[in-house]
Amino acid sequence: MAGVRLESVTKKYGQKLAIDNLSFEYREGEFFSIIGPAGAGKSTILKMIAGIEPVTSGKIYFDDYEVNALSARERNVAMAFETYNLYSHMSVYENISFPLRAPERHEKLSRDEERRRVEEVADFLGIRRLLDRKPVQLSGGEKQRVSLARAMVRQCECFLLDEPIAHLDARLKFSTQTALKRLSVKLGTAIIYVTHDYREALGLSDRIAVLRKGRFEQIGTPQEIYNQPATDFVANFIGDPPFNLIDGTLVNKNGVTLFQSGNDFTIPLQEKAIEPAQRIADGDQNGEIRLGIRPSRVKVGKERISDHSFQLPIYAIVRRPEGTVITFELENSFFRASVKGVERYGMSEKVWLDFDQEYTFFFKKTIKISK
Amino acid sequence: MSRVDINGVWKIYEGDVEAVQDLNFFIESGEFLAVLGPSGCGKSTTLRMIAGLEDITKGEIRFDGKVVNDLSPSERNLALAFESYALYARLTVHENIAFPLRAKGMSKAEADKKVQWIAKILNVTDILKKKPGSLSGGHQQRVNLCRALVRQPNITLLDEPISHMDVRVRANMRARIRRLHDELKLTTIYVTHDQEEAVALADRVAVMNHAKLQQIGTVDEIWNHPANKFVATFVGEPEMNFMQGRIEGREEVSISTKDGKSTFRLDKEVDAKSVGSEITVGVRPQQLQISRSRGEKEALPGVVDLTQFQGEAVIVTVLLDDSEKTEVKAVIETDWMPQIGEKVWLEMTPENIHLFDGEIPILR
Repeated sequence: MAGVRLESVTKKYGQKLAIDNLSFEYREGEFFSIIGPAGAGKSTILKMIAGIEPVTSGKIYFDDYEVNALSARERNVAMAFETYNLYSHMSVYENISFPLRAPERHEKLSRDEERRRVEEVADFLGIRRLLDRKPVQLSGGEKQRVSLARAMVRQCECFLLDEPIAHLDARLKFSTQTALKRLSVKLGTAIIYVTHDYREALGLSDRIAVLRKGRFEQIGTPQEIYNQPATDFVANFIGDPPFNLIDGTLVNKNGVTLFQSGNDFTIPLQEKAIEPAQRIADGDQNGEIRLGIRPSRVKVGKERISDHSFQLPIYAIVRRPEGTVITFELENSFFRASVKGVERYGMSEKVWLDFDQEYTFFFKKTIKISK
Repeated sequence: MSRVDINGVWKIYEGDVEAVQDLNFFIESGEFLAVLGPSGCGKSTTLRMIAGLEDITKGEIRFDGKVVNDLSPSERNLALAFESYALYARLTVHENIAFPLRAKGMSKAEADKKVQWIAKILNVTDILKKKPGSLSGGHQQRVNLCRALVRQPNITLLDEPISHMDVRVRANMRARIRRLHDELKLTTIYVTHDQEEAVALADRVAVMNHAKLQQIGTVDEIWNHPANKFVATFVGEPEMNFMQGRIEGREEVSISTKDGKSTFRLDKEVDAKSVGSEITVGVRPQQLQISRSRGEKEALPGVVDLTQFQGEAVIVTVLLDDSEKTEVKAVIETDWMPQIGEKVWLEMTPENIHLFDGEIPILR
C-alpha cells in the first residue's frame, strides 16, 4: 500500500468529541508517529484506521480506495498494543507464528519458511532464545516484545503500533527502539506509531504529528518539531530539560520593542520578530505573550556576553555526565540553561545570561505552566 | 547535620537470603549521596536500615560517631520521604505538614510558624488549606517533602521521590531538592534506580549490585574511572560500547578490522605481563568521534547502520568492519546527519579508552 489518508475525520463518543475534523496523509514507506498526552485521541485514530472503531464522519482511504465500509479483517493491517494479549497455552514460537497460520491467509507457508520468518523477527527484537517458552515464564518487557513480533511477522499493508514498548525499562526500551527502527528500514512497510514518549518519536520517525484534544498542533520532521515548535504546547511536550516558557509583556522604550518578564529581566526583540509578537500580545486580554527558548540556547557567563545580556542569581545547579543544568527562578516560573562542561558556579551567584535570538520564539499562551 | 558511618553492615533474611553484604561507606555531614542500583540490589534495604525500619543483622551504623543500631526511627531524628508515603487524606495540607511537629508536643503557634517557613521554601503556601486528594502529583510530592523536612532532621532520606513525574515537574523538583539541600545544609541520602537522577543531584554516588557496594565516588570518578564493567555499563545512556582488542604494548591497544589493525595509544601504562593478551576495550558513545574520511588520527572503519535523532544530539549506530560486525554507538552533535550505509571512521582519545579483563578494569 502506498498511503493512508484521513479526510475530515471526526469521532464522537456520545456528546464527547474525541477526534475533531482531522485530515492527514501518510506517505509511502514512512515511519509516522503520533504523539500527545494521555486522552488526546491517539489510540482512537489507530482504531479507526484499523477498522475497530467506526468514524462518526469523514473518510479514510487506503491509497485511493475508501475503506470506511470495510471490516477490520478486510483492511489487512497488523496492530500491536501496549497490552500484550498473548495466548497463554501456546509457546512464544506458536504465538508469533499464529498470524501466519490464520485461516484467512491465501497461501500457506512451508514449515521452513514459517520458521525462517519467525526467527528473523525474533532476532530483530532480541527474543530468539525465548521461542520455546510459555508466556507465563516471561517478564513484562519480554511479553511486550513477543506481542510486537507477532504483529510484525506478517507481511501486511500497514503496521499500526500503539505504545508497543511503553512497559519496557529505559535500557530495554532503547534497544527495542533500535530493533524497531532497523526492522522498519528493512521492511519499508507503512508504520503508524503512537506514543507519549517524545524520545521514541524523535529517534524513530520520518514525520511526527503532535496531537492535542483530537487536533494536530503540528506535523513535521523530528528536526522541525524539535527546532521550530509551532506552539507552546508542542514546545512543552518535547525535550529534557524542558523548553523554557517565560510569560511577559511587550514594552516600548525609546523606540525599541522589548520583552519584559515581570521585574526579572527585559530583552530586545529581533526586527523580524516584532510584528508577529505584537500581534500575539494584542490578541491577549492582558497583553501577555510567552517567550520560548531551549535550555541549550541560553548562554551563561561570569562576564557580560552581549548588549542584550542580563543578570540573575542561580537558583540551583544539577549535573549531567558531560554538562550542567543551571536553574533560575522567576516570579512565576523556573527557567534553565543547559551548558556543556562543568562550570564552577555557586548557588545564588549572580551570572550573566544571554538568549540566542535566532532560537527565541514568541507564542500565544495556550497551556498552563506551573512552577 | 550529621555524619553517617556504615561499618561492615549485613542484612540476612530468613533462609540465608543476603540482601546486603558487608557494606562499608560513610556520608559526610552536609553531603548529598545517591545510592544507585537496579531493583533488588539492596539499596532500599540499606536505606531502611539507616532509617531504623529494618534490623541490622551484622555490623554497625553510626550517626556522628554514636552507634544507632538499637535506636527506633523516631529516636534517630531523620526525615523520610518515600515514593509510596501517603499523605493523610482527611487532613489539610497544613495539618499534614504540622502533624510530625504536633505529635512531638510542639505548641500550635510554633508549629504554624514552622509550617509557613517550609511551605514558603517549597512554594506550597497557596495550597495549605486544600486536602491532598485535590492536588496534582507534583504538589503532593512537595507537601510530602515539606512534612519530612519541617522537623529539620539530622539526615534526610529520599527513596525515589520524583521518578514518576512529567519532565517539567521533575526538572523543577530536582532543582528544588538540590536547592533545599544546599540552603538548609542538609545531609541527604537519595535512593534511586535512575542513573540520570543520581548524576543530576548527588555530590557522590554509591553504586550497588547483587547486595554489594560496587563503587562509591564523585560523578566524574564513576563516569571516567568505573570500578568494574557493571558500573561502566549501568551509568551512562546509551551504555558504554565494548569491542574486542589486544594489548600491543604497555601503552598501546589494537582493534582488528578487515582493513587491518588500528592501534590506539593509552594514557596510562598497563602491566608488562598483560602485553599480548586479548582484552575488552570500552568507550562511551559520547566520547567517540565520527568522521567521513580518515584523518591524521588512528580510526576504526565502519558502516552507519542507524541514526536516531534526539534533539540536541544524534545517536549513530555503526557496525564495525570486523568479523563480528560489532555494534558501536556514538552520540554526536546534530550539525550533520550521517546516512545509513555510509562508510565512516571512529576516533577516540587515549583518556577515554577503558580496558577490561573480564569484569575488572586494568587502567585505573
